[in-house]
Amino acid sequence: MQGKKKILMILMILTLGVFAFTGCAPTQMSTNEPTTEGEMTESVATEAGSNTESTEADGNTQGVETESAELDPANPVHVTFYSYSLGFPTMKEGMEHLIQEFNDTIGKEKGVVVEGIVDENYTKNVTDIQAGNQVDLIQNVFPSLDVAKENLGIMAFEDVFPEDELDAHWDGISEAALSLGKIDGKTYGMAFTFSTPILFINGTLFEEAGLDPNHPPQTWDEVLAAAQQITEKTGKPGLAFSPSNGWVTYGLFYSNGAGIFNEDRSQVVFASPEGIEAIEKWKEFYTSGCAALGTDGEVVEQFMAGNAGMTLNTTAMLSGIRSSFDALGIELTGTTMPSFGEKEAIPVNSGSALVVRPDSDLKAKAIWEFVKYATGPRGYTIITSEIGYLPLRTEIADDPQYLKPFADEYPLVRVNLTQLDNVRGTIWPAAIATEGSQIFNNAIQVAVSTDADVGETLKKAQDDINALYK
Amino acid sequence: MDKQSVTLQRLREAEQKPPRRLKSILAPYLFLLPALLLIGFWVYKPLVQTLQLATYDWSLVPGTTAEFVELDNFSKLLRNAEFWPAVNNTIFYTVGMLPFSVIIPLFLAAATQSIDPKAQRIYRALFFIPMIMAPVSTAVIFRWLFNPGNGLVNQTLLNLGIVDRGIAFFSDPNWARLIILFIAGWKMIGFATLMYSSALTGINGEYYEAAKLDGASEIRQFFDITLPLLSPTTMLMIMISVLFSSQWTFAYIDNLTMGGPFSTSTNIYYMMYRFAFAEMNVGLSAAAAAMFMVVFGVLALILQYLNRKLAFYDN
Repeated sequence: MQGKKKILMILMILTLGVFAFTGCAPTQMSTNEPTTEGEMTESVATEAGSNTESTEADGNTQGVETESAELDPANPVHVTFYSYSLGFPTMKEGMEHLIQEFNDTIGKEKGVVVEGIVDENYTKNVTDIQAGNQVDLIQNVFPSLDVAKENLGIMAFEDVFPEDELDAHWDGISEAALSLGKIDGKTYGMAFTFSTPILFINGTLFEEAGLDPNHPPQTWDEVLAAAQQITEKTGKPGLAFSPSNGWVTYGLFYSNGAGIFNEDRSQVVFASPEGIEAIEKWKEFYTSGCAALGTDGEVVEQFMAGNAGMTLNTTAMLSGIRSSFDALGIELTGTTMPSFGEKEAIPVNSGSALVVRPDSDLKAKAIWEFVKYATGPRGYTIITSEIGYLPLRTEIADDPQYLKPFADEYPLVRVNLTQLDNVRGTIWPAAIATEGSQIFNNAIQVAVSTDADVGETLKKAQDDINALYK
Repeated sequence: MDKQSVTLQRLREAEQKPPRRLKSILAPYLFLLPALLLIGFWVYKPLVQTLQLATYDWSLVPGTTAEFVELDNFSKLLRNAEFWPAVNNTIFYTVGMLPFSVIIPLFLAAATQSIDPKAQRIYRALFFIPMIMAPVSTAVIFRWLFNPGNGLVNQTLLNLGIVDRGIAFFSDPNWARLIILFIAGWKMIGFATLMYSSALTGINGEYYEAAKLDGASEIRQFFDITLPLLSPTTMLMIMISVLFSSQWTFAYIDNLTMGGPFSTSTNIYYMMYRFAFAEMNVGLSAAAAAMFMVVFGVLALILQYLNRKLAFYDN
């Protein structure tokens, strides 16, 4: 009796177990679980089919879908737009305005509704794609562009949108900016919100320290001298520029003639004498006690609260700094990124590119309508005047219909524009992007803000990153 | 016929009829079936899948191919620059959490045990409030308190002349993880105090009366009666604290330091999260998860063993 019961119980549990694990087999397939190679390929073919088909079939007849693929105002197409700008208080309103205005005008007229989705850490688009949700349009940062290309199924603009329309739309947009989103000759990211670092200056603190805010320092030596004078006279940090900024750092290397990668991006080469020299100069701000301490966010907050003399940061901060300084009654000036002596300063770009992953021809058309609007003259007028990013259509800065009134009022916009031609981008190769950039950023923080030797720290990081290539 | 004889008769009938016997044997398992199915689907299936994922190189993006890499993920993990600092910090957070989950709450609960019930309720509510505060809002509040420029903490330190320059708590490798531990611990205290308070209420008052009659001092009573009788709660709190401290520090790491400065405040959970969702390397993340499932599983077994050895139940 007892024995029978036991056997029955074991049988029962085994059946249950088998049922629990195998019962879900069909869902495994359709959600692309990596079961076996064969199953995987099969499910790829069915699930990703629509993506690849619409890419390849552009221009070909594709049956019913292509014929009916016309936008219809009565049945608007829904486009999901993942934007980090929506997650930052200083940029949120401007980006919301841009989306709303599109939906109310062109969107309504043609039949497109763009839904803005907050993605302040750049991770929501990834997790949503992983979860199988349709992500149409992403505001993607540049350094991770290759990663997105390799992993997120984003498509080249040339493969999705008609060539003549692309050419017509790109006419008037800075060539240097457009080229930053190109990988292997194709545009995987179209330059969207864009800025170069500028040296923001707290005019009031400058005057208190006996400096002239209208003759701002131009070289790093001058910036250091000014920062030291500010700290000496006012007790407040002279420069708010954190080693964890994650992007301006590259500009320091480039400005001193150092590179991050070799020609074909197969090695990192940043621990060159020029690279080490640039970082050693930066470190002097810390050793002489005139640097604002804290995380990147904290040092910017100190500057915005009027507690630091200068900050080297993106013009996307302009609207935030402006309103804060207005409220505090502080005078705001600024200048281009400082240079190393006589060498020409080479700014980097922060900001984003638009990357697209339409799942049908119709969706591609809808996305293209929004892209055209957002990167057209009206779009850039909103982006520049309400967020602070650069107008990539430089000529609208002189067009009274668009940006001229704003640029006249805030000359910093033109400061930013003058740097645009020199701008240089940094895209980490996908294979080593995250770990490599992490090692790089950590090394910069250690080198600048601790007692560690700059040369040794950078050389070790360089060796560690190059080891990742293997 | 009275009720008892009816039941007896039915039992006899049941014994005579084999099909009904099978039914009565099956019945309990049928009742268990929904629970077993749910646990199988929500707990064990993901577990098996995690182990499976650990042997693949995959971004988890639908439409991409997972590449079978055998145990490469594990060796990659051990070579990763962030791995050992993360392990180190996980130990730091786990050990550092114990005072907040055991020692401080024990004394808070004991101290508020014998006061006026009204005041007791107010005190306990105050202790418990941090626990119910959303981690992200807590992180923001502490970010402002510890702001290097005009945070309250630095302003106070400056005014008292203890420092002559604000401390950048979240970008100083010595401070960042201490502050994170402090915030997580601050939240933990409320929960643990509540647990101890309810355990204290359960102690039979007669022990104290007897001890008083024998002339035992309050301190003696605490160590000889309260402490041993609270041992089951203490073991439970140690277990909860050890197994969950890494998860509870996650929100503060993400919101305050993002693992920095230079990976000095990250822990294994944050590292796994970064692997899976920032670096899109689900295999590596799963490998780390599998490895730590074993570590924490062993820890849990040891703690259970200790619990049986050390906890004293007043039955």
